[in-house]
Amino acid sequence: MGASGAGKSTLLAVANGSVPPTAGTVAVLGEDPTTLRGPALRRLRARVGTVHQHLELAGQLRVVHNVNAGRLASWSAARAAWSLVRPQGVDDAVAALDRVGLADRVYDRTDRLSGGQRQRVAVARVLLQGPELVLADEPASALDPVLADRVLALLGEPAARGGALVASLHDPLLALRHCDRVVGLAAGRVVLDAPATTLSAADLTDFYGTPA
Amino acid sequence: MTALLDRPAAPAPPLRRDRRRWGWGLAAAALVGWSLTGTLVFGGDALNPAGSAVLGRFAGAALSPALDAAFLSVLATATLVTVAYAALGAGLAVLLGALGAPLVSRTTWGRRRSGWWLARGALALPRGLHEAVWALLLLNVLGLDPWVGVLAIGLPYGAVTAKVFADLLDEAPRGPYEALLATGAGRLPAALYGLLPAAAGGLLSYAFYRLECAVRSAAVLGLIGAGGLGYQLSLSFASLRWPQVWTAVYALALLCLAADAAGRAVRRRAGAPRSGGDVHRRDPVLTGAVAGSVALVAWSWWYLALSPATLVSARTRDDLGFVLAAAWPPDASAGLLADIGARSVETVQMSVLAIAVAVAGAALLAGLAARPAGTASAARRLVGALVRVLLLLLRAVPPPVWALVLLFVLLPGVLPGALALGVYTLGVLGRLAAEVTEEADPRPRAALRALGARPAGAWLFGVLPQAAGPVLALALYRWEVAIRDTVLVGLLGAGGLGALLASRMAAFDWPAVATVLAAIVVLTFVVDLLSDRARSALR
Repeated sequence: MGASGAGKSTLLAVANGSVPPTAGTVAVLGEDPTTLRGPALRRLRARVGTVHQHLELAGQLRVVHNVNAGRLASWSAARAAWSLVRPQGVDDAVAALDRVGLADRVYDRTDRLSGGQRQRVAVARVLLQGPELVLADEPASALDPVLADRVLALLGEPAARGGALVASLHDPLLALRHCDRVVGLAAGRVVLDAPATTLSAADLTDFYGTPA
Repeated sequence: MTALLDRPAAPAPPLRRDRRRWGWGLAAAALVGWSLTGTLVFGGDALNPAGSAVLGRFAGAALSPALDAAFLSVLATATLVTVAYAALGAGLAVLLGALGAPLVSRTTWGRRRSGWWLARGALALPRGLHEAVWALLLLNVLGLDPWVGVLAIGLPYGAVTAKVFADLLDEAPRGPYEALLATGAGRLPAALYGLLPAAAGGLLSYAFYRLECAVRSAAVLGLIGAGGLGYQLSLSFASLRWPQVWTAVYALALLCLAADAAGRAVRRRAGAPRSGGDVHRRDPVLTGAVAGSVALVAWSWWYLALSPATLVSARTRDDLGFVLAAAWPPDASAGLLADIGARSVETVQMSVLAIAVAVAGAALLAGLAARPAGTASAARRLVGALVRVLLLLLRAVPPPVWALVLLFVLLPGVLPGALALGVYTLGVLGRLAAEVTEEADPRPRAALRALGARPAGAWLFGVLPQAAGPVLALALYRWEVAIRDTVLVGLLGAGGLGALLASRMAAFDWPAVATVLAAIVVLTFVVDLLSDRARSALR
């Protein structure tokens, strides 16, 4: 958690290897993405799924392709190209979409969906990717409370299987309900690190109110 | 927890294609396939093995262009002639456009739709014919007079300019104009005060764009005998002086590139809204460009010794009367019509193949030609620079010159014309596609790379969806340009309606010329219509 500009998105971008750290080292699932190249880096990245804050979906594509993009790490270029003509593995994509309640929109153009629906498409992509580590940047910002709970539960599934979910959230209640550990950031530094069970919603509201 | 959790899994709805787009896509694929079979399978021999030795000698001269003082001074004079033709042609076009725009704008016609349609339809004739066709026709009426080059550029450009100026006026915000009308102002003053200021930037920018195009056209017109740089090129070509040909090609390419760069610089100033500050101070670059252009037109008038008396002389009137009388009624014999049908098929196939070559090439090269967003390796940047230079060279040489070169090794027919146009269009389309790629949102691709996608997969799912629509729309627009240019390369022997027109004109068979001209106008009109419909399906 942390105020806007505290470094939450940067932390997640460093963790998925899109941004190299300016100092120090980074270990993701036991490996350092800055030292890996080519296929080895791709294999590590395939084990990390990210729900980006601005979703980063291709609006011109149908929903099914944006969900299928979660499998691009294992698809050959030819298969990826053919899938744009004849969608591959539609059943799995529909199953993933069904879990976020969007199975009926599988062939709609993504930019015709609302903000909240697109957020769920991004979640479906991660579900299909099946990563060990899930990085989620404000995954519930455009969702109503019920859907927000549902989406965080889905994103937490890899964690239940021994992986992890790292989410940046602005809603303290959501954080307390779904997370084991709460880390507070301010100006790029850790200013709070405690098990969720030891914190109350009031503590977190205070944290927001008094930026360090 | 919610109804959402307990709902049974919904079956996937059937994949429904966008019927309109799917239809256009299939039709386009069929058109390309048909053009390919027409050229390659039933075209008979296409290669001319005897020409490869000449091509070798020609290519060998590329690095040793003729640089003797005598030829250079001839070439300098020719360049001045080309520039003068371009300036006068563009000047005439802007004048005609400014006078004609009120006649073809919706603002003038208001609800009288049929009048507007008629006015627009009247523009189809001058627009549908290539400058080179106009030049050939005018040569027969005016003889070897500088007016030929000026009118050949000015008339078709004037029609296009009138249409674009009218569109710009119609698209300007209506509020100020209607407010002035409501205060009782007349329609002309209301348009001057309410519409013109809003449209001025666009009008000025388009006028400079026309000047830029006119330089290219003037160079090309020389190839069919109107004087200037292109004329020198064709003379050297005909006398097999390859080093001289190369000097002329380099001069032509440099002139086109200079016009391109200068035009783009001025248009950027005219197109961008002035940022705050002192609005009364004029932009010195724009003021200089306008004053310089006016001075250039005046100088060109003097340099070409243009005499208005030629236009109204008795001889001109007689020649025009003779040609018109001879051309009426047009030849409608079955033999000619069948010939026109076959040549129209060739023309369409040529233009379709040209665009197919250009689109395929642009799709392959756009990714490389685009400047990478973030940091890139030195090798990647070197490749990018090389590809950009290659595209620059492809579009710096006008299509007829490409056709002349290809005719060394290919027999006259659809193939050399299609390749010449395709290569040139690739130069244009490749750059545009690279620009579209550069402007695409980089985040979807970065997100796919972050989840481990291969470079090709990330490009297919992250960049292609964003770039495909704009690039296809540009390609359809270039198809309209290409169908006009096929007539030009046809005039120089590459087949199609242009070749038929050239042969009928050489025989002074005016009734047949009239029919062929009508066929060309109809064909360009149909292609414009198809391209417009297909583009609206892309939106």
